[in-house]
Amino acid sequence: MTDTTNLPAAGNEASDVLQRSLTERKTARRERWRLLRRRPGFIIGVVIVGIWVFCAIAGDRITPYDPFTDRDSKYCARPPCPPSGAHWFGTDQIGRDIMSRVMMGARDLLLVAPTAAVLALITGSVLGMVMGYYRGWVDNLLSRVVEAFLALPVVMVGILVLTLSRSSDLLSAISFDSRNVLIIYVVALLFTPIVARTVRATVLGERDLDYVVSARLRGESNLFIMTREILPNITGPIVVELTVRIGYSIFTVATLSFLGVGIQRPSPDWGLAIAESRDLLPADQWWPVTFPALAIATLVVAVNLIADSIQTVYER
Amino acid sequence: MARYIVRRVLLSIVTLWLLATIVFLMTWVLPSDPARLILGAQAPEQSVAAFRLRVGLDDSFFAQYFRLIKGLVTFDFGHSWKYETYEVWDYLRTPLAKTSKLAIIAMIITAPISILAGLIAAKFRDRKLDRGIVLVGLAASSIPEFVTGALLAVVFGLKLEWFEPVYSTEAEKLSLWGQLSYLMLPALALALAYFGYIARMMRAGTIRALDSDYVRTATMKGLSSTQVMSRHVLRNAAAPTITVMSVQIGYLVSGIIGVELVFNYPGFSRVLLDAAIDGDLPVLQVAVIVSALIYMVATLMADLLIAWLNPRARLELGAS
Repeated sequence: MTDTTNLPAAGNEASDVLQRSLTERKTARRERWRLLRRRPGFIIGVVIVGIWVFCAIAGDRITPYDPFTDRDSKYCARPPCPPSGAHWFGTDQIGRDIMSRVMMGARDLLLVAPTAAVLALITGSVLGMVMGYYRGWVDNLLSRVVEAFLALPVVMVGILVLTLSRSSDLLSAISFDSRNVLIIYVVALLFTPIVARTVRATVLGERDLDYVVSARLRGESNLFIMTREILPNITGPIVVELTVRIGYSIFTVATLSFLGVGIQRPSPDWGLAIAESRDLLPADQWWPVTFPALAIATLVVAVNLIADSIQTVYER
Repeated sequence: MARYIVRRVLLSIVTLWLLATIVFLMTWVLPSDPARLILGAQAPEQSVAAFRLRVGLDDSFFAQYFRLIKGLVTFDFGHSWKYETYEVWDYLRTPLAKTSKLAIIAMIITAPISILAGLIAAKFRDRKLDRGIVLVGLAASSIPEFVTGALLAVVFGLKLEWFEPVYSTEAEKLSLWGQLSYLMLPALALALAYFGYIARMMRAGTIRALDSDYVRTATMKGLSSTQVMSRHVLRNAAAPTITVMSVQIGYLVSGIIGVELVFNYPGFSRVLLDAAIDGDLPVLQVAVIVSALIYMVATLMADLLIAWLNPRARLELGAS
């Protein structure tokens, strides 16, 4: 009888502690969210990214003209035609409406770049946790490989891998979508070591703290300690790393597309559009380059404003 | 110090070997046929086979791997596949020099301005001026270089007509001073990208130094603020900034490719992209490895410079 009265009491105490730490976490989250909302940079960033995400999702359902086929010969006999009432951003070399193409151009970039960043975050976190938790020869070996990867210029390796795979017989017949999948894999591969280094450094700071030591004394498995003890405690740095990585990913994918090895035609991708119309600059035809360039600039600056705000809020 | 240098150089050699291996593996696992690429789709099967034999594409994995490593050690990478009369290194040298010229001009423009901007931002921390510098830095470093380049070309090249909007080979007949009109916009596009990184690091380093005990001591013992700044703050804020600048020299190689393409500048990027499209594997591999080498040499120099500037760093590094 005494036994049974004792047990629930102990259980209550444990769940009390758990309850308290959960409320604490909830309060911290609410506090961070409140701080974030007060930062003008964050709000501006979210609004701009929101607009581009909306354009990407809605696509040609909201564009004033068809971004792929519409050739306007009524307003514009000899394209490219400068911005006018009918075409706010002008038309490109073959008379397509640039505003429609810029709106549609958000889709592939916003599909490819964040996916690559998330993938790199997952693989990089696993790698970084293993390196930081186990230390020893595993860490030493992987650290050398990570260092070698970091010395390789991302864009150059991107060119190398993407052109060589484009040329192959195996992939020459691939559809447009599987090309995007390939870009996702390449960018994720190149970003994995960078994420791994950050996560490793964070885990190193945690692995000797009391809660990890006591979990080990309790006899928990390494997998349990890594995923259930350490991981919840390093979500801050991981969230920051994700937002920063999405910014770099957009940067990289846009550059690769501009260089002709990234997203391919017929996509109205911004980098691709700049590459296709940069020859028009010397002829004083500025609009086909300027509007996609402004689109990339606003998107990356907005993402970086969000990343910067999140970083400041998490690190205070 | 000597022990530290030896250690650091040895580590760099290991890294170089590893990254050469990574590059080799990448070109090995990709299911492409460079011989077919070089000779074109119409080339008869015999000549493709003959080509594969001649350049050693049919050799075993290890034979090809050791050829690359041997090339790295002896600095003799053989001949380009596309232009067989050229040695790889001779083929890369001139464009590399042109790219370096652009990078150096960009660094000369950006280093003093961004260091000064970082200092000013730190001095006026959290005020309007600081916020402005931080925001400009964030924007400048987050926009891809080719986008900055394209926008600069439109505004300062086409609209204001201050500089030439695109590079032309005409420029090479002029003196360096005359070439500046052509080089200015591409260099500026790169300079803006570095500005963000360098100013941000300089600001952070200066703030950390200003908050430190040794600066408080220096101020309290009656040094003038210029003396505190030059003797104590600058020296300590320099280390992270130098590191960032050296890392940027590495990224520069990446960013410069886009800028060169926007302005039609005949540098490294054109060679690299042509080699990639043609499947000129030796040129491609060496180009990637050389740019990684530039990055490694830059970071090595930076670490040595920091160790030389700061005895404390020397001790920490020697101990580890």
